[in-house]
Amino acid sequence: MAVYQAPLRDMRFTYRELLGSDKVTELPGCEEATPDLVDAVLEEAGKVCESVLFPLNRSGDEEGCTFENGVVRTPKGFKEAYETFREGGWVGMACDPDYGGQGLPNCVNTLVEEMICSANMSFGMYPGLSHGAYKAIKRFGTDEQKQTYLPKLTDGIWSGTMCLTEPHCGTDLGLIRTKAEPGAAEGEWKITGTKIFISAGEHDLTENIIHLVLARLPDAPPGIKGISLFVVPKFMPKEDGSVGARNGVACGSIEHKMGIKASATCVMNFDEATGWLVGEPHKGMRAMFTMMNAARLGVGVQGLGIMEASYQGAVDYARERTQGRALTGAKAPEQKADPIIVHPDVRRMLLTMKAYTEGGRMLAAWISQELDYAEKCQDPKRRQEAEDFVALMTPIVKGVLTDLGSEVANLGVQVYGGHGYIREWGMEQYVRDARIAQIYEGTNGIQALDLVGRKLGAHTGRYLRRFFHPLSEYIDRIMDDDELEDFALPLAKQFVRLQQATGYIAQKGLSNPNEAGAAATDYMRLFGLVAMGYLWVRAVEVAKQNLDGDEADFYKAKITTAKFYFERLLPQTGALFAAIMSGSRTMMEMDEAAF
Amino acid sequence: MTSKTETPIKKVAVIGAGVMGAGIAAHVANAGIPVVLLDIVPEGAANRNAIAEDAVQKMLKADPAPFMHKRNAKLIQTGNIEDHLDLLADCDWIVEAVIERLDIKQSLYAKIDGVRKAGSVVSSNTSTIPLATLTEGLPDGFKADFCITHFFNPPRYMRLLELVTAPETRTDAATAITEFCDHKLGKSVVVCKDRPGFIANRLGILWLLAGVTEARRLGLTVEEADAIIGRPFGIPKTGVFGLIDLVGLDLMPHVLKSMVGALPETDAFFQLDRDLSLVEKMIAEGYTGRKGKGGFYRINRAGGAKVKEAIDLQTGEYRPTVKPALESIDAGKSGGAAALLTHSDKGGRYARAVMARTLAYAAALVPEAADEVYAVDEAMRLGYNWKQGPFELIDKIGADTLIQVLKSEGMAVPTLLETAAGKTFYKIEGGTRLQLGTDGQYREMVRPDGVVMLADIKLTAKPLVKTSSAALWDIGDGVACLEFTGKMNSLDPDVLKCIHKSIPVVEQGFKALVIYNEGSNFSVGANLGLALFAANMAAWSQIEELVEKGQQVYKALKYAPFPVVAAPSGMALGGGCEIVLHSDAVQAHAETYIGLVEVGVGLIPGWGGCKEMLARWTEAGAANKAPKGPMPPVAKAFETISVATVAKSAAEAQSNLFLRPTDGVTMNRYRLLADAKARALALAEGYTPPEEPVFRLPGETGRVALEMAVKGFRKLGKATPHDEVVSAALASVLTGGETADMTVELSEDDVLELEREAFNTLLRHPDTLARVEHMLETGKPLRN
Repeated sequence: MAVYQAPLRDMRFTYRELLGSDKVTELPGCEEATPDLVDAVLEEAGKVCESVLFPLNRSGDEEGCTFENGVVRTPKGFKEAYETFREGGWVGMACDPDYGGQGLPNCVNTLVEEMICSANMSFGMYPGLSHGAYKAIKRFGTDEQKQTYLPKLTDGIWSGTMCLTEPHCGTDLGLIRTKAEPGAAEGEWKITGTKIFISAGEHDLTENIIHLVLARLPDAPPGIKGISLFVVPKFMPKEDGSVGARNGVACGSIEHKMGIKASATCVMNFDEATGWLVGEPHKGMRAMFTMMNAARLGVGVQGLGIMEASYQGAVDYARERTQGRALTGAKAPEQKADPIIVHPDVRRMLLTMKAYTEGGRMLAAWISQELDYAEKCQDPKRRQEAEDFVALMTPIVKGVLTDLGSEVANLGVQVYGGHGYIREWGMEQYVRDARIAQIYEGTNGIQALDLVGRKLGAHTGRYLRRFFHPLSEYIDRIMDDDELEDFALPLAKQFVRLQQATGYIAQKGLSNPNEAGAAATDYMRLFGLVAMGYLWVRAVEVAKQNLDGDEADFYKAKITTAKFYFERLLPQTGALFAAIMSGSRTMMEMDEAAF
Repeated sequence: MTSKTETPIKKVAVIGAGVMGAGIAAHVANAGIPVVLLDIVPEGAANRNAIAEDAVQKMLKADPAPFMHKRNAKLIQTGNIEDHLDLLADCDWIVEAVIERLDIKQSLYAKIDGVRKAGSVVSSNTSTIPLATLTEGLPDGFKADFCITHFFNPPRYMRLLELVTAPETRTDAATAITEFCDHKLGKSVVVCKDRPGFIANRLGILWLLAGVTEARRLGLTVEEADAIIGRPFGIPKTGVFGLIDLVGLDLMPHVLKSMVGALPETDAFFQLDRDLSLVEKMIAEGYTGRKGKGGFYRINRAGGAKVKEAIDLQTGEYRPTVKPALESIDAGKSGGAAALLTHSDKGGRYARAVMARTLAYAAALVPEAADEVYAVDEAMRLGYNWKQGPFELIDKIGADTLIQVLKSEGMAVPTLLETAAGKTFYKIEGGTRLQLGTDGQYREMVRPDGVVMLADIKLTAKPLVKTSSAALWDIGDGVACLEFTGKMNSLDPDVLKCIHKSIPVVEQGFKALVIYNEGSNFSVGANLGLALFAANMAAWSQIEELVEKGQQVYKALKYAPFPVVAAPSGMALGGGCEIVLHSDAVQAHAETYIGLVEVGVGLIPGWGGCKEMLARWTEAGAANKAPKGPMPPVAKAFETISVATVAKSAAEAQSNLFLRPTDGVTMNRYRLLADAKARALALAEGYTPPEEPVFRLPGETGRVALEMAVKGFRKLGKATPHDEVVSAALASVLTGGETADMTVELSEDDVLELEREAFNTLLRHPDTLARVEHMLETGKPLRN
């Protein structure tokens, strides 16, 4: 049976021991995020996720959302769970204290989000979308808009959405047709159009829903440069903070989906709905881009959350389930059969899941810590470095962690055998839930293109410097370290592959963009594997210093997992490298008709 | 100066010391020819020569400099036309460049005719008055010696010279002037008929007028207009309005008036709206262009910030510039000029109203104002800096497309264009360049005597060696030519590979090697983009290999068993300068801008530049041409390299020792290859490679002295923190490194190793990387 316990020990390892969590307290606004406070926050979050959200995960999946007469109902128990969650202050955990939030750093928020996604990914969509709307208004809204919406969104009594996709366009938002026309009062606009795939577009959890909508002004230039951002509330906010008349926005239907069934995915119809411009006219896409790093990081963390939950379920089952005997003879002669965990192939699956999950956690936490520096650091040089780094690594976190999310969830099913395939055990839900994370917020193909097209060549490779230089220096440093001899040379070799592939793509891609396009997905994976490899060696360094203490077993397991990663997972880079270097010719020479 | 022809013109006079006259005089001085510069006596002046003298002083401070070397000013003898007319007596060519008034010119001619020697040539720099009018009533002897030589501003830099002769003009007088202007002044002489505005301005003014008035009529902003009539047609990005700002708005109404006054009413000028009231209003308010308060564009500094503004053509009010966004502009980017010309939006309409009209007008000028289409193309390329002349543009667009456009716009199709229907104006047949004549027949285009163009050779030849960034060609008579072919002729591993492969090929089959190309710049140096990308991904071993490879290849060129002659033109910077330094001899175009600019991007010369500069200054000391001893060469090399000195001409480069005093200079860009080839062949006879120099360098004491000097500059605020880091690395290389002192002999390889180490260390420095990135993105150095 799927089980979930917040991985507090491993989070503490990542947060405190690997990344040095006291560091972020030097950032303005993060002074109070001391390691002890963070420990306490994570522990509390763990309790809520385990006891409130996780129990609703399967029932929510079974029941799904329902739509009737324009009203969307979330599954049984969600409303109460949301109230508990909201009252605990979790919606505004990372929001500004000026608006009632707790001002915790991104790197803490990432770990809490991971727990939420492990426990109940569908539930996590609601506060997650609110946070996106919060960020957009905070960054681009007028003072009045901030005063009207931010306290409510922080508190969670109102929720938010992002309305981008239309029936005919998702990836290419330049084709958007939703229009804004001058409204009755100065500064008011009438928004008309249809948006689809709107998560949390309509539901019964909050008293109001604040839509952020991309639309075109009457004088908009064609294409992507003519899109503006509007705030459109479901109910018109009144001066006193209560909600007034219903606005011209309604849910037309909800989608019937493969997974995250407790998350309402809505068709939203705007019929001369009153809205206000957020930010400058025609600069809506720029606003979207500035929020994209955080949003994509958040989706990567969904992949991570699913990995952790699936791993826990699989380990639980592998220990309990007795079938057959170990290949080398009975391990539990007192029983009729050995637990399946004695089998090399089951261990292969479990260690793969564990190594990706913990590696993914290190990666996500690292990038979100740098996101804190990118957003808050006062030293412009350091801030620039962090911005570059986050820009480079965001598509990798999103693309690689969500791909791995699916792979790990599938392994989880496999460990269960036939029981994994039936709904009752909860493991197949992870496969279904994980799948969307590879698609939304920019498909993983788009992430890979973003990496090779936008990030690789930016400022003649300056973003790369933020990863390649520290890694190159690190390899130089550990090369003569006997303690790390199992790791240093393989890491150095994979790093050279990454350098060669990078140079190849940059050079070939200049003359033929198809070359970069053909290499993109494999390259993103290669990059992600090397990045995790680097973090695993650092983890080993930390672990080796703690082998004599009370928690020696924990650290020994770290080292073993790292070894497994280096022996069994990192070598994929060889195949990826060969694939990348084979170029685009074969895939492009195939006649379209021959497909 | 290298020149094949001995010129009968030994001394020149220019009368009129305005911008054009003074500039012409300076450029004659650049050719090493003494020149007399006279102007009127200003009313009540204490100094009767004030106008000419002030003009020379002003030119010594001007940027871009009219003089190729400051010492050239000494070749100008100044005076006034009242006291010093006798100075004309021994002049072989007298250029009149006074105000455009017939009466003044004619009375001056009479005076000149009184003093000039027999057989001397008199020419006018007029841009508007017909030759026949100028000489009306003057003696036949004067008429026989008279022609129009129309220079373009600034005379040193603009390569076009329009020559107009009358039937009475002596053939040998015209020949003497043509040859002098070609060989000595480096001009491309285009023969024009005696028609108003000659070729370039006749076409250019119509183009500008249409650009201004049609933009207003069709409702385009100046930014939109310049984005259309600019890059898409291979015209400088200043377009129409930016160009008028540059040359001055006040010129427009004046030139237009004289043009319209002289042309028949059937001319295309009369079909245009000629209302320049906005321009006149702007001139009246002091908006005469960049020289005044601004023009169609201005920089508004009100409120502290610098805001670029453009004028609204409808209201005459300034407003911040707006980036143009028209579908036709995007169409032009992908589909070229033809796509823009046939687009349906207002940008397309504007392109037709201006460019289709201008191209048609160009076709109408042959044979009226020019004998051949090539003359018109050359005039627009060299007089207006168009990348392609109008007929080359028509070939690109398609004569048939243009004819259709003209018909659809209700504009007349000129006869010559009709002749070209279904054809091109230029074509190549069997390696021969042909141009279309007015009779519909193709004729061979013949280069002037002694002009060899690599482009012509390439029409039929196959490269002996070729990589993606360089190629080796056989240019005949046992000489091979190495050509850079990469972007901006930057140097990368493929250039080195080509040189490496070329050395044995030249050794086996040729007497000598010339390094030359026909890009606008010889080489802008190493491909910084590649280097930065490699550095950003920490590909250190790859970079180290490239630096070492470059040193090896350059050294191999230097000691190859055949002479190597570099023939730079335009920029020869960084690695491009270093390859010149490694050549046995140089034949440089006079307009060569050469220097070791590595410190600008936080690096030092790493392909032997430090080593060669040390060797040159040591050699100069030994030859008593510079101070002797170990420190002066170090100090000189440091001075030159540490501030990224760029010589602004071949003459200046000789003072900096980027070129040797014995190296040759060619004034005419078209003659550079022939001159370089001749020099290479001259060296080939009994050639032995140079001996390797040995260095004795001062070591620590010298280094400390240089570092102290830099610290001083730092205190004065003249050096930045990173300058100090880079200078220290440079000082260490030039003084021989940690262990050197004067008793120790260092080899070339020792110094090269120091260069490599310093280069590789600097390239890892984040401030160096920031400089490289800034240079790539802005084209300007970062002062960090």
